[in-house]
Amino acid sequence: MEENIIELKNVEKYFGTLHVLNNINLSVKRGEVVVIIGPSGSGKSTLCRTVNRLETIDSGEIFIDGELMPEEGQELARIRSEVGMVFQSFNLFAHMTILDNVTLAPRTVRKIPKAQAEKEAMELLKRVGIESQAGKVPAQLSGGQQQRAAIARALAMHPKAMLFDEPTSALDPEMINEVLDAMAELARDGMTMMIVTHEMNFARRVADRVIFMDQGQIIEESTPDKFFDAPGTKRARDFLSSIRTQ
Amino acid sequence: MNKAGSRTYVRDALFEKPGPKALKKIRLVTALSLAALILLIFLVIRQFYITGQLDARYWSFFLRFTTWRFLFIGLLGTVEAASLGGVLALITGFLLMLARISKYRILNILSAALIEFTRGVPTLLFIYFFFLVVPQMGIKMSALWKVVFPVSISACGIVAEVLRSGVNAVPKGQREAAISLGMSEAATFLRIILPQAVRFVVPALISELVIVVKDTTFAYVVSFPDLMQNAKVLISNYDALLSVYLVVAVIYIIINYLLNQLSLYLAGRMDVSTVNVAEV
Amino acid sequence: MSLATLLEQYGEEYLIALLTTWKLTAIAFSAAFVIGILVTVMRVSPVKPLRVFAEIYVQIFRNISGAALLILLVYALPYLNMMFSYFTCVIIATTLIPSAFCSEYLMSGINTIDVGQIEAARALGLNFTELVRSIVIPQALRSSVIPLTNLLVSTMLTTALASQVPMDPRELTGLVSHINTHAVGGVVAFFVSAFLYCITAVVIGQVGLRIDRRVRILR
Repeated sequence: MEENIIELKNVEKYFGTLHVLNNINLSVKRGEVVVIIGPSGSGKSTLCRTVNRLETIDSGEIFIDGELMPEEGQELARIRSEVGMVFQSFNLFAHMTILDNVTLAPRTVRKIPKAQAEKEAMELLKRVGIESQAGKVPAQLSGGQQQRAAIARALAMHPKAMLFDEPTSALDPEMINEVLDAMAELARDGMTMMIVTHEMNFARRVADRVIFMDQGQIIEESTPDKFFDAPGTKRARDFLSSIRTQ
Repeated sequence: MNKAGSRTYVRDALFEKPGPKALKKIRLVTALSLAALILLIFLVIRQFYITGQLDARYWSFFLRFTTWRFLFIGLLGTVEAASLGGVLALITGFLLMLARISKYRILNILSAALIEFTRGVPTLLFIYFFFLVVPQMGIKMSALWKVVFPVSISACGIVAEVLRSGVNAVPKGQREAAISLGMSEAATFLRIILPQAVRFVVPALISELVIVVKDTTFAYVVSFPDLMQNAKVLISNYDALLSVYLVVAVIYIIINYLLNQLSLYLAGRMDVSTVNVAEV
Repeated sequence: MSLATLLEQYGEEYLIALLTTWKLTAIAFSAAFVIGILVTVMRVSPVKPLRVFAEIYVQIFRNISGAALLILLVYALPYLNMMFSYFTCVIIATTLIPSAFCSEYLMSGINTIDVGQIEAARALGLNFTELVRSIVIPQALRSSVIPLTNLLVSTMLTTALASQVPMDPRELTGLVSHINTHAVGGVVAFFVSAFLYCITAVVIGQVGLRIDRRVRILR
């Protein structure tokens, strides 16, 4: 079995002349929780989105569980289905019930029978605490409930890893914790996770490793305690103090 | 960066940045479709050629100033009928809208019924009403009004609905603020609500004008000298039906296209999406 | 002429005319819907020539007037050795114009789809076909119900073009013109046709509202 579930080697990406990802080398081990932080525009969201190729890269290689991420086709779709993704704006399918949102991919991609998919979906919804909302459509749910439904939707594919792209940034303050709690529980259960977030307390509590990005580069990489207590670079120190004074 | 808020078109999101295989496929389909289109254009031109429709005599008179002046005079007729029709539709539409939102239930019902009626009946039927039925009642009317009345009746219902959607789009707080300043209901409506509502619906009203312009092409039914009617004269003068009607059709398309673009431009500048009205 | 005498004399013709209007509308709308979908597929495709072609198609037929198009089909096409029956010409004209609008409505339906949802579907491993089938088409169709019902009504109104050519049987507008040129049908003859058009439009509108209420996507 491959030790690294996610591995990026020499990844480069430009938006026009802007160097958004500058020689990124990064790996996430099985069961590891890596939190990526950095100022806005640092490229952390882009990095997260390149992992399942929602953003293409200009050069470099990305491996998922030892397999090179292909550029297109059914292989790409298959590998994507093995990596769960949770978005900032939930992105639940607006025309479907919560239950159908969760069962769509298992049924269409994995061809799992309806009854079985729904049974599993209900268990997942129970796990994130919204089983009573299964029959509703996304617009009837609060932001926190929607995001938990989105987590359940991703989990329904039994992913090898989960990507979180600022999962709490679009939430009202009182709903942030319910989502963070669901994520923390996932981490406890041993899920491999890559999380882009601004929630520093959460990062410190849950992360095995913190990665600090700025201007498309990985500036610093260390344990949460070390990073938050004694950051090794000036840019990280500036960033942390700018957050604390807010 | 692709964050919430930055607008990516669905078209671009639908197709991922293609990989090498997909790119090959797209290039192949592009080449094939380009070839098919060129073939289509070729076949059309060929059909024109073998039927003799490319003959100089069918097209040369378009080089003459008099031809264009004559068409322009016809166009003035179209503009006259369309602008009178438009203004009349605006006035009647405004009255219908006032009745529709008034506090008298009987007026609401009456205007709702009238709006449904004008929206549910084809313009041509109204034209026949003014062309055939009105003279039977002993009323004499010039050809111009036989076009203007039916065209404006046909448009006023939609104008009323468009105006009403504009009034509804003005935030409630505006009215409350004006009333709390001591303005009367009437003054509030005229000076606060209406100006904002009109701003919202100008693009939709311009789109409606396109329909009015299209409807004036039925002017030939009542022999009103519009673009279409003058085209007929050109056709008999030069014995060139196809080329004249083609040019006239293109003129109509360009006018309406420009009106639509103006509507889109204004909608974009005012950051309001055009109110969706039934067109055609 | 009173309503009673009119209906006694022309009652059956009105019924036939109503059915003819419905028939023309049904044929034209179905054809317009199919063409509208095809044109929309071209417009969203990554193939530039198809996109340009479809865009020009839409601009031509949403901006040409029905009368001008019908005249071109009936009187101009024979000069290119292309002869169609009057009926065919009417169907073509009343199909092409609504097809352009149909594509416009479908395009705006597609544009209401949140790009994030497309990304989410892709991230779950849905391939292009699955994505289009389970996300794009359902959402686009469900948010186009009202525009499409309006289009059905305006297609019906467009079929009045048939009154401009000799048709057998006549539709509702042609019949009024026929009655009034052969007898003094007066206001009544006009209102019977107008009423039949209106009632059809109202029924279509109500059905559309009901469908919309059931399938509308909450946002």
